[in-house]
Amino acid sequence: MQPSLVLRSGRSAWKGPYFVAFPNLKQALEDHVPIRTQERSCTILPNFVGIRFMVHNGKDYIPVTVTQDMVGHKLGEFAHTKKRFVYRMTKNR
Amino acid sequence: MVHVLGVALPDMQLARLALTNFYGIGHKTAQRLCARLQIHDRSKIRDLTAQQITELASFLASPSTAPPLRRMPLASPTFQPPPASTPIEVLRKRVTELSKPTGAEPLRNLKIEAEGRRVVRENIAHQRMIGSYVGKRHAMGLPVRGQNTQSNAKTAKKLNRVNRFG
Repeated sequence: MQPSLVLRSGRSAWKGPYFVAFPNLKQALEDHVPIRTQERSCTILPNFVGIRFMVHNGKDYIPVTVTQDMVGHKLGEFAHTKKRFVYRMTKNR
Repeated sequence: MVHVLGVALPDMQLARLALTNFYGIGHKTAQRLCARLQIHDRSKIRDLTAQQITELASFLASPSTAPPLRRMPLASPTFQPPPASTPIEVLRKRVTELSKPTGAEPLRNLKIEAEGRRVVRENIAHQRMIGSYVGKRHAMGLPVRGQNTQSNAKTAKKLNRVNRFG
């Protein structure tokens, strides 16, 4: 059974998905060069499959390798923006 | 107390409301179900005949393979019946044309109980497998849809799991 990919698209269907035409897409496919991008809201299209992206999370660039299952989602979903909360009681009270 | 597909339906409850006891059926779907199976709006479970209950059970067992309900349209106020001399085949043909089931079958994709839970589990597993934010939040047992965590995350902390429903 196919899990539902079209859950909360947010954008009207008649507008089509929001995506960015990366200039070095062909090069990334052939030479496996990662694409550095700050376009977190770019929808992953079927022709992105197999490409390595370096997605910005505000500070660093997180490597994301696109698979077939990721197609309807956005790039930013795979680059977490917050550090994991760890409780450390400071010594200087 | 009638048992249908493993779920107990209390006798004193309205049939339309008792159907919401199934996982995957809410008030709207229950209303549609009663319309589909021709159960009266105000009938209680104890008023249903054995045939109605078997119909209900067989429909819910596999909603996608159930035979479609034929249409029974009412005549308009200005309806003129055809003359008595019309041949019976013409009349029969007209009846079959009128009672053809329409294309829209909103209950065909109904998923109940185990199947419904499986859908939810598969969606969560898919999000976890691709490594998305939603999957990570399920794994951490925290709210997924951007709710506050500094306070008030009790339900999410209790229920959000990667393999929900055990």
